[in-house]
Amino acid sequence: MIRVVIVDDELPARELLREFLAADEDCEIVAECANGFEAVKAVAQHDPDLLLLDIQMPKLDGFEVIELLDRSPVVVFVTAHDEHALRAFEVHALDYLLKPLSQDRFRQVMERVKRSVGHHDRQPLAGMATSLRARPLQRVVVRGDDGAIQVVPVSRMDYVEASDDAILIATAGVKLRKQQPIGELAAQLDPDRFVRIHRAYVVNIERIEKIELYAKDSRVAILRDGTRLPVSRSGYQRLRELL
Amino acid sequence: MSTTRRTLTRGALALYAIAAVAATATASSVFFLWARGASAGLAIAAALPPSLLLGFIALASRFLCSALPLRSTSRMSIAVAHAGSAAAASGLWVLTWKSWVPILNRQAAASLAPDYSVLFGLGVLLYLAAVAVHYLFLEIDALREAEDEVLRYRVLTREAELRAFKAQVDPHFLFNSLNAVASLCGSRPLEAREMAQRLADFFRLILRLGALERITLGEEIDLVDRYLAIEKVRFGDRLTTHINVDDEASRCMVPPLLLQPLVENAVRHGVASMVEGGTIDIVATLDNHMLRILIDNPADPDRVDARGEGIGLENARGRLSAVSEGRAMLQAREAEGQFRVVIELPR
Repeated sequence: MIRVVIVDDELPARELLREFLAADEDCEIVAECANGFEAVKAVAQHDPDLLLLDIQMPKLDGFEVIELLDRSPVVVFVTAHDEHALRAFEVHALDYLLKPLSQDRFRQVMERVKRSVGHHDRQPLAGMATSLRARPLQRVVVRGDDGAIQVVPVSRMDYVEASDDAILIATAGVKLRKQQPIGELAAQLDPDRFVRIHRAYVVNIERIEKIELYAKDSRVAILRDGTRLPVSRSGYQRLRELL
Repeated sequence: MSTTRRTLTRGALALYAIAAVAATATASSVFFLWARGASAGLAIAAALPPSLLLGFIALASRFLCSALPLRSTSRMSIAVAHAGSAAAASGLWVLTWKSWVPILNRQAAASLAPDYSVLFGLGVLLYLAAVAVHYLFLEIDALREAEDEVLRYRVLTREAELRAFKAQVDPHFLFNSLNAVASLCGSRPLEAREMAQRLADFFRLILRLGALERITLGEEIDLVDRYLAIEKVRFGDRLTTHINVDDEASRCMVPPLLLQPLVENAVRHGVASMVEGGTIDIVATLDNHMLRILIDNPADPDRVDARGEGIGLENARGRLSAVSEGRAMLQAREAEGQFRVVIELPR
């Protein structure tokens, strides 16, 4: 039995998927979600085999949902936007369905799904998803230890700090932990607004109050809120080019 | 094609002008001389060369006419310039006459000498007649050009309207609505039929209204209403709408499809982008000959993709200022999670 989670913010769209799936004896719907937050929760809770995922949804889009999953089921995107189709494959979705949905096409895709379930590598696709997101990145999604999801617009990020194999995102006085190499995030941020001032720090240049000489060849960036961040020599070069 | 024909006409006209002025000058002079007893052959030989010269001068006055267009030159300058050049032209014609006759025939010079004041008057009159004809043709040309301009402008406007139409109807709205129709077909076929009908009505209306120059606000609100009814099927409880339009306001004339794209924006940002959805408020009042329209929708202060809104607002602003000669106003404000578009249009 293939366990399916349906995600779409429009009820008629969910109903149509439900109707198509009802005709397939091998499938069972374990959850229906009306937004990305519910989807992340439902996948964590039910560990489904297949995720039928809308892309354009409020607050958290389909790509961001994938980024937040620990274990990824087989993903099939369902969208009215065919310009998303290519990106669907980039994030290793198995296939995509265009709205309005065709039942023939749905059957074909389900055949592929059935061949794929079981042979599918269920590692998280997160890195894959983020590295292929549209650039520059507009917002960052973070899932806390308690499972709560935070969507942080990049303009609200003060700086990002590398911490072991993860990053800490400093925003409005709190630090959000995210499992991602700092270099990967740095590459996606707008280079005119975020600078890698140090191997372990990326800073939002709007937050910088001043740069002080700390020792010979060693500087420190002082942010508006008083935070002091180390600036390496090459980091200082990059800052000077920008300012 | 038409330009070539017109140039030919102008060339022929020039020749006619020379011929007409020269022939009239010759004929009149010959008549005078003949009356004074000169032989016809001699009279023609005497009159022809000065008359041809006058003809050329009269033709050349066209340049002076186009340098002093009727519409943009003061009456005084035109009168002074042409009176002066008429006197000069006529003086030259009399002078030529005076010097040519002795060369032609010294003995008959006396009999071939007409009353020069009459000759001068004739020269002035013929010159001024040529000027009048030149102005007439210049005006005809200007009129044709103005007509061409109007035609070109109309074509451009229509193209802009078509572009606006394409920009105004988001294809994803159609795809998503058709998906809803497909969905309803299975569970609620009667509603599916109704939805298909609504979609058809909406598109028919948008095509019909889009082709008009002005429509009443009531017609525009009707279009918006149909649009929102379709979106309600998609978004269900997430979309609530309040529309409140005065009777007086609904009779005001507005450019077509002014509100529809703004309401589409409101749905996209205030409902589709909100997990809980939202309410769209549309209020129109007529106060002291000023039509005031408000469109309110919730907005996520953290939203990242605000580019689309800007284009929609810019389009609407451009169309408003085009129809009102800059007297209308469109403002967008955002405060406390609410986005508001205010339009003020003098009646």
